[in-house]
Amino acid sequence: MGSTINLQQDRDPDKRPEYRRIDTASPPTAGGRECSGIPTGYASLDALLPQRGWPRGASTELLPKGAGIGEFSLLLPTLARLTRCGGQVLLVNPPWAPFAPALARSGIALDKLWLVHPRGPQNTRWAIEQSLCSGSCAALVSWQGHHTFTNKHLQRLQLAAQRGNCLHFHFRPHTESLSPSPASLRLQLHSNGAQLVLERLQQPGGASGRRLSLARAAYPAHCAQPLH
Amino acid sequence: MLWLCIQLPTLPLEVLTRTLKAGKQTGALGVVEQQRIVARNRPAAERGVAVGLSSATARARNRGLHLLQRDRAQEQQQLAQLARWSYRFTPLVSAQAAGPIRDGDSRPACLLLELSGSLKTNGGLRALLDQVQQTLAQMSLSGFMGLGQSPSAARLLSQLPAHRRWLAQAHTVPSPQQWQQWIGTAPSKLLDCDHHTITQLYACGIRQVRQLRTMPLSEVTSRFGRSFVEYFTRLNGSRQDPVSSDHPPAQYPTALYFRRPPEHSEPLQFPANHLLRALYQQLQRRQCYPRQLHWQRDFGRGRSHSYTGAVSRAPLASQRLLALTRRQREQAAPEPVRTLRLTCSQPEPPAEEKPAEALFNQGSQALLNKLKARLGHQALSTIALTGSGLPEQTWQRAGISSLPGNGAQKCPPPPPCHPPRPNWLLPRPSPLPHRGHKLFYRGELQLLQGPEKIDGYWWQHGHHSRDYYMARDKDGGLYWVFQDLTSRAWFLQGIFS
Repeated sequence: MGSTINLQQDRDPDKRPEYRRIDTASPPTAGGRECSGIPTGYASLDALLPQRGWPRGASTELLPKGAGIGEFSLLLPTLARLTRCGGQVLLVNPPWAPFAPALARSGIALDKLWLVHPRGPQNTRWAIEQSLCSGSCAALVSWQGHHTFTNKHLQRLQLAAQRGNCLHFHFRPHTESLSPSPASLRLQLHSNGAQLVLERLQQPGGASGRRLSLARAAYPAHCAQPLH
Repeated sequence: MLWLCIQLPTLPLEVLTRTLKAGKQTGALGVVEQQRIVARNRPAAERGVAVGLSSATARARNRGLHLLQRDRAQEQQQLAQLARWSYRFTPLVSAQAAGPIRDGDSRPACLLLELSGSLKTNGGLRALLDQVQQTLAQMSLSGFMGLGQSPSAARLLSQLPAHRRWLAQAHTVPSPQQWQQWIGTAPSKLLDCDHHTITQLYACGIRQVRQLRTMPLSEVTSRFGRSFVEYFTRLNGSRQDPVSSDHPPAQYPTALYFRRPPEHSEPLQFPANHLLRALYQQLQRRQCYPRQLHWQRDFGRGRSHSYTGAVSRAPLASQRLLALTRRQREQAAPEPVRTLRLTCSQPEPPAEEKPAEALFNQGSQALLNKLKARLGHQALSTIALTGSGLPEQTWQRAGISSLPGNGAQKCPPPPPCHPPRPNWLLPRPSPLPHRGHKLFYRGELQLLQGPEKIDGYWWQHGHHSRDYYMARDKDGGLYWVFQDLTSRAWFLQGIFS
């Protein structure tokens, strides 16, 4: 079972590892384990992941159980660092409009954030694939929504991310956790009250079932009494 | 100054014979205007048909002569096309249309180019002249050229056989003495003045221009008039010789008409490529880039299909322009396409940016162009902070027209810490059902934190005052809800994703 870490403290700029550009960083090693991943902004999560961060040039699947559990906040430290270093970040098919003041407060450079709303599943898959393999996109976050992504489609996206050396986060419904997927990393997310619980799903070459609980920054420290 | 004059005396014939069948082109042909022959081909010339003859006399001399009516609009179009092409060499291009018929003769159309600044760039005088001749041949035009220190001198020398022979093998610009010598030996009949003046010149025994030079200027003025003297001083270079300069048009409409409409969309690729290459050259000359490319496929009888491709920044090659609208063009046409049109609107000069930024943004520009071309303008957007007030007024969605610079330098520092805000905002507040003292959204909601009072501006229509709360559902999802203090209704506005 995992441990609980306060996100506010963990995201302190003094404590978090120095950001390295995707193309220039050389993979250091720690404790005999290769550290080729992109830092997530949470030291405890880095320790959980096989590459000590988000896998480079690969797809990461996130399977949240419901909305509003802090699933997008998990990516904000990484996206903020990428945009502030001049990297382009794309949000493809986001479920709602990103609230600019909240993202700006997280440190995201808004002029480096593009929203893409393609029409239909075919255009969505095309836009994701083209952006991933373009080589000019630092990170891409896509939402499956109501569209269908078969294993073949996901394989194409994984290859495109590899070709373009792009960080790809793909949100899928919780119910897809039993479907096979070629993604390098799959994380199942659910809420445990004030915490976001992450569970790594079985993938080739990686252990499964490891859990981690992260305290949610937005969650009030002291819950008010029922207000009405 | 170094002016090149390209005279096109057979342009009236060449623009008309292009559409004729091969059998008719070899026969004797003549072009008439106001019942006078203005141009004829070689077979007609061999049978005694000369420029200036009346059409009745020409027919009498040659029974098989085929006469065509002059089309000045087509000539003008061809001349404009040639001028646009010449714009690649120099910004000083002057296209002069053929003059009206006077005394059975008309001044032929010509193109004047100022080349003094473009010799080095184009590999010298010889290479440049060869390029001009090759293009004239490709356009099926025949003309003769002359080089001079002023437009009037270039025009005169283009009619002088000795100068044309020299120009056919010239590699360097001649000395000023050489110019004067050629102009001096030119016959008086080549001077650009009316028949009456030429007759007067010959009546006075002035057969060559050098004889005019020996005469006092006051004498020339009294005999031939002030306008002739002005022309003569321009010819000698002692007076400025201004010509009207042509500039490529701001709009770029162009079309290709198919005599045999293609049945499928595949054969349209080649003509589309041709149109785009011409547009790209035009944009390159004007140092502009297009905002939008409009294609129109015309099926005849008033039916057509059009589509638009968006361009965010100067593309680097015509191939990229071609790729931008390839998908739309590949869509099967319901009927054979009779006309393919390409229009470019709002060409703009590129914004100045630092070389490092340009290099950095190049890949992003290409991606932006590609996404816009297939998904459309409205599918891509960005967000920006706007001000304070109600949450929906603090930000706005904006289209991506061009890329900003490197965000590492321009990004403002994050605003100071405030109460938590949700990452997602609903397009508009969604009413929440409430029964008794309970709120419901995918189950019962529990209020965790609040109220935080947020007011709209009092001067705005429908002044709002709201109490915001953070609420939680049974699965642990956090929401941003508010109660409108005017209507007392509850709404969901954001999600703490």
